[in-house]
Amino acid sequence: MRRFGWVGAAALAVALPWLPFLPPFWITLANYIGIASVVAIGLVVLTGVGGMTSFGQASFMGFGAYTTAILSTQWGISPWLTLPASLAVAGIAAWLIGQVTLRLSGHYLAVGTIAWSVALYYTFANLDFFGRNDGISGIPPLAIGGFRFIDPRATFAVVWIGVLASVLATRNLLDSRAGRAIRALSGGSVAAASFGVNTARARSLAFVHAAVLAGFAGWLYAHMQRSVNPTPFGLNASIEYLLMAVVGGAAHIPGAIIGAALVTVVNDQLQDLLPRLLGQSGNFETIVFGIVLVATLQAAPRGIWPLLARARPRHRDIQPDAPPLPHRALPTPNLTGGEVLDVRGLSKNFGGLAAVSDLGFTLASGEIVGLIGPNGAGKSTTFNLLTGVAEPSGGEIRFLGRSLAGLPARAIARLGIARSFQHVKLVPAMPVIENVAIGAHLRGHAGAIAALLRLDRAEEARLFAESARQLARVGLAEHADRPATELALGQQRIVEIARALALDPVALLLDEPAAGLRHAEKQALATLLRQLRADGVAVLLVEHDMDFVMTLADRLVVMDFGTRLAEGRPHDVRENPAVIEAYLGAPG
Amino acid sequence: MDSTIGLILVQDGVINGAIYALLALSLVLVFTVTRVIFIPQGEFVAYGALTYAALDNGQLPGSVWLLCGLGVAAALAGLWRRQVSARLLALTLALPALVLAVAIWAAPRRLGVAFDAALTLAIVAPMAPYLYRIGFQPLAEASVLVLLIAAVGVHLAMVGLGLVFFGPEGWRATALPAPSLALGDLPVPGQALWIVGLAIALMLALFAFFELTLFGRALRATAVNRLGARLVGIGTAQSGLIAFAIAGAIGALSGILIAPLTTVYYDSGFLVGLKGFTAAIIGGMAAYPPAVLAALAVGLLESFASFWASAFKEVIVFTAIIPVLLWRSLRHGPAEEEE
Amino acid sequence: MSRLLHAALLSAGIALAAGGAVAQPIQVGVTISTTGPAASLGIPQRNSIALLPTEIDGHKIEYTVLDDGADTTKAVANIRKLIDETHADVIIGSSTTPASMAMIDVAAEKKVPMISLAASARLVSPMDDQRRWVFKVPQNDSLMADAIAEHMAKAGVKSVAFIGFNDAYGDGWAAEFGRAAKAKGIEIVATEKFARTDQSVTGQALKMMAAKPDAVLVAGSGTPAALPQKTLKERGYTGKMYQTHGIANNDFLRVGGKDVEGTVLPVGPIVVAAQLPDSNPIKAQALKYVNAYEAANGPGSVAAFGAHAYDAGTLMAAAIPAALKKAKPGTPEFRAALRDAMEAQKDLVMTHGIATMSPTEHNGFDTRARVMVVIDNGKWKLLP
Repeated sequence: MRRFGWVGAAALAVALPWLPFLPPFWITLANYIGIASVVAIGLVVLTGVGGMTSFGQASFMGFGAYTTAILSTQWGISPWLTLPASLAVAGIAAWLIGQVTLRLSGHYLAVGTIAWSVALYYTFANLDFFGRNDGISGIPPLAIGGFRFIDPRATFAVVWIGVLASVLATRNLLDSRAGRAIRALSGGSVAAASFGVNTARARSLAFVHAAVLAGFAGWLYAHMQRSVNPTPFGLNASIEYLLMAVVGGAAHIPGAIIGAALVTVVNDQLQDLLPRLLGQSGNFETIVFGIVLVATLQAAPRGIWPLLARARPRHRDIQPDAPPLPHRALPTPNLTGGEVLDVRGLSKNFGGLAAVSDLGFTLASGEIVGLIGPNGAGKSTTFNLLTGVAEPSGGEIRFLGRSLAGLPARAIARLGIARSFQHVKLVPAMPVIENVAIGAHLRGHAGAIAALLRLDRAEEARLFAESARQLARVGLAEHADRPATELALGQQRIVEIARALALDPVALLLDEPAAGLRHAEKQALATLLRQLRADGVAVLLVEHDMDFVMTLADRLVVMDFGTRLAEGRPHDVRENPAVIEAYLGAPG
Repeated sequence: MDSTIGLILVQDGVINGAIYALLALSLVLVFTVTRVIFIPQGEFVAYGALTYAALDNGQLPGSVWLLCGLGVAAALAGLWRRQVSARLLALTLALPALVLAVAIWAAPRRLGVAFDAALTLAIVAPMAPYLYRIGFQPLAEASVLVLLIAAVGVHLAMVGLGLVFFGPEGWRATALPAPSLALGDLPVPGQALWIVGLAIALMLALFAFFELTLFGRALRATAVNRLGARLVGIGTAQSGLIAFAIAGAIGALSGILIAPLTTVYYDSGFLVGLKGFTAAIIGGMAAYPPAVLAALAVGLLESFASFWASAFKEVIVFTAIIPVLLWRSLRHGPAEEEE
Repeated sequence: MSRLLHAALLSAGIALAAGGAVAQPIQVGVTISTTGPAASLGIPQRNSIALLPTEIDGHKIEYTVLDDGADTTKAVANIRKLIDETHADVIIGSSTTPASMAMIDVAAEKKVPMISLAASARLVSPMDDQRRWVFKVPQNDSLMADAIAEHMAKAGVKSVAFIGFNDAYGDGWAAEFGRAAKAKGIEIVATEKFARTDQSVTGQALKMMAAKPDAVLVAGSGTPAALPQKTLKERGYTGKMYQTHGIANNDFLRVGGKDVEGTVLPVGPIVVAAQLPDSNPIKAQALKYVNAYEAANGPGSVAAFGAHAYDAGTLMAAAIPAALKKAKPGTPEFRAALRDAMEAQKDLVMTHGIATMSPTEHNGFDTRARVMVVIDNGKWKLLP
């Protein structure tokens, strides 16, 4: 049925423009909208979902357009054969540029893209190879047999089938293991890396996907326009594509198309309307366009699409009978020193300030250890050191007998350490179940190509069956399809636990899991943690709720000013005078 | 290339770099206070230069009408948000009316460069806070990306209006009076002294403002922590207005400074602003001294690149930025992007 | 063949009959760059379109003017809009070479004659099936470049430094002047580029001066071309200065001031219309335009770029009567007839020159379309 929908849409793209009553110029406009949509859809992945702002999409379009222009005019190669070349050149260029610019974070990335966008413009404009400022003309149109795609109505079919293909590819990508890695970036790269997502690769994938789409748009553009020159691929054009995506709703694929349509149509209509209102004496289009743009953003800061489509959660079908994912063999639970984690002399300095110093403790499988201490004692820093988010200044961490020194967060996750965060780091707009599935990232293998071709469905079913199981285990099954932000903060913490469990952990590091929970929920959490202990999971717990931690933990490690103040059974620690002083202040 | 040529290129680079530095400073200021990447900063330079040049030529600059229009719009925006006060009306209606009256009276009289410069500041600088009220204040909670696109909208409208007011051709103005110096073989034009001197003075003034005055510290507080600043009673809206006002004034002043030195066009602002923006980013978008240094470096590189390979000037300038950005970002590590 | 002729005659007859009843208006579609980097060309062109005839032989002429901002994508969208929506019988535009180049395909595809206002000879040569539909009214760069090289050779210039816009105009001139200079045995000792809105061209000026040229040629359009010259002056350059016809408006003189005194450049005769001898047929035509333009837009406002649009109108108006005899406006036959009639123009007097078209020549200007002038006391002065 769904497949029929896509085929039907493609058939519509072929037939629609030939309807007799459609004004021919609308078809031309629709073709421009289609090409812009393809670029903007790429920006949905890159900017709206991946959180990276690019001012360089038009240059990737230029890569695609110039590739086919040169190949088809100078080498006489058929445009259909140059398509893979255009896509490859744009993709490879993006990969190479990405190696340099994607390391840049935040605003650096934006300026990085501006920089190479300007540089490329003047390179195109100053080399004979690219025809300098005049560009390359006489590009052959697309043709099948003797039929040449010159009439806009014929081009319409190619362009909009291209848009459909882009939508399909992008949807497939985003709804996959690789796509979730990209979407996880907007929950913070620390969280993503802590579940084994190779954030650099995820960023690069988003970048390459967006660039390949732009390259495709460039290929379409070159054969529709039949000439190329540097102007359509400059910085201003890049800004316009970004603007389309944002106005339409950068986080949504339909938003890209709506944005492209709106910007193109408004520009065109202003050109007709304003001279009628104000006379031919001046050019007020850009002025009015700028004002309309600001007003639109004020009315719809998240874009037009979210206004049109009242967000109703889409239900994801879970196949509970999918073959279960392989399960890690946990070290046999024993209480006689089967330690999985051994920390010795751990320290961390931030510019001369010791956040953690000379900390040592052990954690065994089938054991719950509470890590407690006043605010600022260095508990969260300790978590970051254990999970590879921050690098220790000294000391040693051994996990299952091997040293973690120098391992990045995602390698540590692979060894079986999962964590939750003091400040919830879920992907806000993503459904709960998919957030949990990020936890299972390392238990799947399918890559982007498999996702594009939908060869990953069997594995996806297994990943989601596992995620649903973990979600049910923490008691949030009925919230599976809701966006994570809609849950209460306490529930979001529990989702983080489910996500951590989906990793199939040996050791579970929980940062204040009980904060914000009601009494009954705390009871349920305690039951869950006891169950995990019985299963042989090693649990390290940072918690401020003393009753909770005292009743639950087998041992406590008390920290103050980054050092270990005391260690022992809860009852003993409670009596320790140093601990009392740290918590209650000096007596008297 | 002999040493004289080198010296002249350095001088040229420093002059341009000083302008970029001023722009970088105001971009950093606006961004840290309001999270707006203020693309139209360059338009304030162009407006400043063209308004000044028009007055210098004895004409009434069209921008004065924009000032009035924006003032009325800002007053209406205040009315809409039910924040009308006598002070608001004075600032949004009375002030532009007064400036308009003075401009109409003074324009044909050619009262000299000092008067023209002051009048230009009065015409151009207040546009920025009006724009903040109309365009950005309602978006205060939006993401950086949305604010950026809104800034693009303002930029487009301002460039379009610039074409209407000043026409497609360029303008130049009389230099501010100053003696020319000679440093050894190198003649230093008076205008260059003005630019570098004023740039340094402005930087010191900004420093003093942020360190010594209550307002300045309030602004810094907003920059560091918007919620915290609100809790201690510093309005985000007010600090935004002040940041924009300072940015508008710096832009207009930069325009006045370059108008005698080069030809300025209605669309000159974009590239100038872009280079200021680049310097601001290299400087980390938060710190002032690195931004100034980066701006000087951009100016110098540009000057030498136009000597070595003028066709590829922008290619050289902008690709040279990437390793610097890379180094900075590696040194700072992957920052958590909190939106 | 004879059947075709018969059909043509028949349709012409029908057209005439219909024309008698309701005079079908002739649609003229204009896309020019009234905003963006070429606005200094596009704005006077738009003002000149307003001076074109609104009625010829009883047929109303309707103009639709669109702005393309010198953006090729927009220019192509505009020409499609003009042809599809307003059913343009003839297209005027665009102001720049890249935009015009991109429009050629559409004009040829739709078989609508197009009159470009851009400089490059590549728009109309080599003549082929596509360019059949394209005419161009500004002088070819090569015509102007030859004039400069000739003047230089006569003045004893042996070496030249060249600085041009970093765009299609500068590229075109670099190529054409290179060719012309070589023919005259003049050596080009430096080739520099600058951008229209550059704040400083000190680097380029120093580089050129280091090459110690006898003369410097600046290839830019409008006021931006003044900056290199002013910088050279500032840095103590005292050699000869040449500019191109791209600067021929009064704004250049205003911005250039006394720093551009003595500059030599080739221009279309319109720029010095009043100084032309009365025997020159261009004089009357040019003065008519200047007076009309300045009456509408203020004294001193006339610019050579605007006159190109006026010339495009002259070419079109000259061809319309012949085309009207063959077919009715709004039909493919009329557009083809209009094209044919434009191609048949002989010794057509325009403000910029006298054009003689042919199937292989769609610009048609000869050396009568250029005069050498010098800037003297802030005015353009015709050189003998």
